[in-house]
Amino acid sequence: MADTIRTGLTRRTFLKSTAATALATPAILHFTRAYAQNPTLKLGYVSPKTGPLAGFAEADDYVLDGIRKVFAGGLENNGKNWAVEIIVRDSQSNPNRAAEVASELILKDEVDILLGAATPDTTNPVADQAEVNGTPCITTDCPWQPYFFGRGGNPAEGFESTYHFFWGLEDVIANFLALWDHPGVEKKVGGLFPNDADGNAWGDAELGFPKPLAAAGFTLTDPGRYQPLSDDFTAQITAFKSAGAEITTGVMIPPDFGTFWAQAAQQGFKPKIVTIGKALLFPSAIEALGERGNGLSTEIWWSPNHPFVSSLDGTTAKALADGYVSATGKPWTQPIGFRHALFEVVSDVVKRAADMEDSEAIIEAIAGTSLKTIVGTVDWSKGPVKNVSKTPLVGGQWQKQGDKFELVITTNTQAPEIPVGGELALLG
Amino acid sequence: MAGFSIQRSTRTSRATALVALLVLAALVAAPWWAGRADLRLLGEIFSFLALATLWNLLAGYTGLVSVGQQAYVGFGGYALFALAMFLGVHPLLAIVIAGIAGALIAIPIAPLLFRLQGAYFAIGTWVLAEVFRLSFAQVSALGGGSGASLPAGVVTGIASERFVREAMIYWTALAIAVAALAFVILLLRSRTGLALTALRDSEIASESLGIGIWRTKLAVYVSVAGLTSATGAFIFLQKLRISPDAAFSVNDWTAYVIFIAVIGGIGTIEGPIIGTILFFLLRETLADLGTTYLMILGAVAILVMLRAPKGVWGIIAERTGWSLVPIRRRVVFPQ
Repeated sequence: MADTIRTGLTRRTFLKSTAATALATPAILHFTRAYAQNPTLKLGYVSPKTGPLAGFAEADDYVLDGIRKVFAGGLENNGKNWAVEIIVRDSQSNPNRAAEVASELILKDEVDILLGAATPDTTNPVADQAEVNGTPCITTDCPWQPYFFGRGGNPAEGFESTYHFFWGLEDVIANFLALWDHPGVEKKVGGLFPNDADGNAWGDAELGFPKPLAAAGFTLTDPGRYQPLSDDFTAQITAFKSAGAEITTGVMIPPDFGTFWAQAAQQGFKPKIVTIGKALLFPSAIEALGERGNGLSTEIWWSPNHPFVSSLDGTTAKALADGYVSATGKPWTQPIGFRHALFEVVSDVVKRAADMEDSEAIIEAIAGTSLKTIVGTVDWSKGPVKNVSKTPLVGGQWQKQGDKFELVITTNTQAPEIPVGGELALLG
Repeated sequence: MAGFSIQRSTRTSRATALVALLVLAALVAAPWWAGRADLRLLGEIFSFLALATLWNLLAGYTGLVSVGQQAYVGFGGYALFALAMFLGVHPLLAIVIAGIAGALIAIPIAPLLFRLQGAYFAIGTWVLAEVFRLSFAQVSALGGGSGASLPAGVVTGIASERFVREAMIYWTALAIAVAALAFVILLLRSRTGLALTALRDSEIASESLGIGIWRTKLAVYVSVAGLTSATGAFIFLQKLRISPDAAFSVNDWTAYVIFIAVIGGIGTIEGPIIGTILFFLLRETLADLGTTYLMILGAVAILVMLRAPKGVWGIIAERTGWSLVPIRRRVVFPQ
């Protein structure tokens, strides 16, 4: 009997000590790394490389190539040179997969900073995994309300380790209102808001479009949330026609807008201004609409005409966009600037972090960022809420110039430093 | 002729039982020998093993080819979020409750689906999953179409120490996979198992032999729904975030699961285990190839279906005559 008890105790002690060693191992590894000749900083980056959101990550390879060249010589931190390794993972446009690859980057690759981009379907699962594990995380390319409130954020507390920079709904609303301020257009708006993360936020009675539109004297016809990938917008079109809407707005995915816009033509609904978020961002989406793509308007987060330069190497917005066009033969897209800016912030954080071995210190450095990037200033001390920093937003219109569509900035009331490129033309 | 006896276990099956016990012991001890990332990956592997084993019971043994099991995965996930966020139920307890809730909700659904046969049943289950997806997209308390994140506090509330917490989550996954496997094996060894085998081969013939078809199918469907819901609850405890499209994803929770069962071998216990291992080997080595990876998966599935309709285990079993899990009954006459 005594024997059994003794072995039991021995086993337990053994397990305990093994567990303690196992627990301590990462700390020991970290300790040795700091004194290594060439310590390596690991960055994990998650984006939708394939799937329906692939347009957002189309320019990733080009931007990452440029960034890898800049980081080739390593980054300085406290007089020590850190080699940089960027591990890229594809979310397949699937939030389940995004959560899985993010957790793999944290647990298996043990990245020092986790990065994520493009729509709540990527930023939110990535940031959630980072938050639970206390990993420093920077995301972009998703309006801040779906990011912050969509993750159950509390403005008083914020998040521990996850930070985000982009613009917000209030900026979109202000820009859209400025676009619609036209003497030849009645202040009657039809709203198309889907039942998804963006649609629910934009259509929200308190935080979304309805209140500011009413305050600015617009009447909004909102037939309710439609299910994404809908094939019939007759109910909405009928409601807009009977309300006499001259403006149409919303936040749609490209296939839904294509369906709506074709049915609007069939059913004789002819708004004078159509300003849609998300669906009209990419040149490919506009080209798919043919002639009817001309004159549609949208929000502009970044363009080659933005008067900003990269903090890494002084590249101008124009040079970055032109480089992409000449390297790929494709038209420039808005995410290019934000991908570049994401790594600008990382580089700046590494320079300032008190101790690269300590994730607390990295988080502190992120929170203390005040950096002029290629998309504007990123500064988390001025955010609308904790953990969020806002970049400037303007509005504009797709105008046919020759045989190509150009996205022309037509309103800059929210960011006067960005020059206007033309005037808004009403739809025929 | 009186001296015959029924034998079920074979020498291989007894050896397998021993090996399985050793493997199980090693897996139980995994928190002490595996890294954090390995534990998490194992957790995911176990959840797919459970889903594939359960789907295999439906399709391979009961003849209920469902392409809508994501209905219960998503239901379980949402049940976990609702219980943990609104009622403050301990997440691990919530997994059990989600399982019971999944079984309960399957009881009124089953009679509706059983009115459909074959391909119509398959489509019916998919429609059901879409109904679930659209319904949960309307519940604004759970984030509607936008989805919701599990507050970090719910997860850290499992246990304050990270090692303990991750070990507990891991053991939950292991328990779910073992429970699913044990359930299927024990069921198939029971009287119901015999009825199921008859049912799969010919519904009309088995009914004429006095098997209560409807009751047997109902019991299997409901219990599979319950276990699938519990697995779903666990999956979304690891994902931390739920949205209707992710929860009721036909690709993630049914297409991959069918792939696993098909390449492993439908209608065998060993099939889903081998299929799960193959699937994760493919994923861990090829997932970075993007769309090419999905095309390879598709090609593998087509190849296996054409060249080896019984799956990888089917080939092995045919060549060697092995039966690792003692389900089959053999009549033995004394020499």
